[in-house]
Amino acid sequence: MADTIDAGMVNQMQELVDKTIQRAVKGVQFLGSEKAQVGLTPKDLIYDKGTLKLYHYHPMSDEIYRIPVILVMATTNRGYLFDMLPGQSFVEFLLKNGFDVFMIDWDPPLPSERGLGLADYTQDFLPTCVDKVMQQTGEDDVNIIGYCMGGVLSLLYAATHTNGPLRNLACLTTPVNWHEMGLFSLWSDKRYLDVDKLVNTLGIVPADFIERSFEMLRPAQRTAGRMRVWNEMWNDDFVRSYRAFERWGNETLPLAGEYYRDTTRDLMWENKMMSGDLVIDGKSADLANIDIPLMAVMAEHDHIAPIAATKPLLEKISSTDTHELVLKGGHVSLVAGPNAVRRMWPAVNQWLGARSV
Amino acid sequence: MADDRQSIDPSAMFADWVTQWERAVDNFSNDVMATDEFSRSMNQMQKVQLDMQRVFGDAMAKQLANFNMPSRDDILELTENLREVDRRVARVESMLRKMQPEGDNNSPSHRKSPPRTKQAPKAD
Repeated sequence: MADTIDAGMVNQMQELVDKTIQRAVKGVQFLGSEKAQVGLTPKDLIYDKGTLKLYHYHPMSDEIYRIPVILVMATTNRGYLFDMLPGQSFVEFLLKNGFDVFMIDWDPPLPSERGLGLADYTQDFLPTCVDKVMQQTGEDDVNIIGYCMGGVLSLLYAATHTNGPLRNLACLTTPVNWHEMGLFSLWSDKRYLDVDKLVNTLGIVPADFIERSFEMLRPAQRTAGRMRVWNEMWNDDFVRSYRAFERWGNETLPLAGEYYRDTTRDLMWENKMMSGDLVIDGKSADLANIDIPLMAVMAEHDHIAPIAATKPLLEKISSTDTHELVLKGGHVSLVAGPNAVRRMWPAVNQWLGARSV
Repeated sequence: MADDRQSIDPSAMFADWVTQWERAVDNFSNDVMATDEFSRSMNQMQKVQLDMQRVFGDAMAKQLANFNMPSRDDILELTENLREVDRRVARVESMLRKMQPEGDNNSPSHRKSPPRTKQAPKAD
């Protein structure tokens, strides 16, 4: 018995010493390493207009679905969240499952693009990209998967383009009830936030302003992340993933001033997606206009778009073919974390695949 | 007793402690930041910062003009022009690639799309 205990303890001690040595050696490498390589799945840039980029990924399957799918990334972040690392990439997963994948990604808006508003994104950028995808594929319809603000833009596009080429829509962590946006709702209280002064002074809302807002929701997250990576420094997979996500978090994008003003006034203050009063370019953007099949995926512990803000989506639309999926996890892990790989990706594959023929 | 001793893993204990610490700090901070007073102060501070930024920016622009140096706006305009040049070069490259002979499989125009015949996945 004593021998067994001793052997167990010796093994533990050995493991502890090994990890400590590896932690030291790999820690030095970590400090000197270059930025993580992300978004490596082969693709072509097929359309480019200022802040907007439209990519077409190279198919990875012998046979693909008839209807192409467009991923619409949130305007605050880089699209490689969908294509983090080989084996940890939603794009790669979709390609291997026979989807023809396009992605709308964003660059920092140019100074001359400070005047871009919600109307430009939903009545110019999205429709143009849909047209480009139809031209490229020769198909008359498309599917869209929108993430966070990308989901909001997709919903507003769908609501203002009824009977258009959009066949199916999947919205991931997409806020609808903007009065339930937690701390964001409080911080942007119209009694205190002078959005006109902010936009008129800055023109483009800087990336560090956006990044700081996100970080304030979880002030300890960055430090805790660093402590975790130090603890797991011996684990190459953990470090690789950490570095990719850290890079993504550090590459938050600035926003066009008018777009920020529109979002604050119409969505955050007036909550017009809930009331159905939103009008864009003279067209009603009432979510009740949407009657296409729609899948809503939301995260139980989302601190950016809390479930109270995302949950009402299916109640607001007129579609009869709907599917709601509530998963454990947070705003980012929902699309790129272990739970995404196990549950979200297969669920989207099943739902969208059945509607892509 | 023996089992307790065998299950000690300092690394796992540290990871648990980090999670608890993170949760405690976030919860405490969120409680503080979820007040009307915090929102008012934060936005007030932001207004002051914006005013300072505008005043400082104007003064800096005047000084740079005095020294015959480019202002921030000039640099931004230059950046925008450079991005436009980059974009045009990329467009020319893309057109040249399209003009490459058929044998070049990497060219987007020559890459054959697989047939769009895939059927719906079987239900689970």
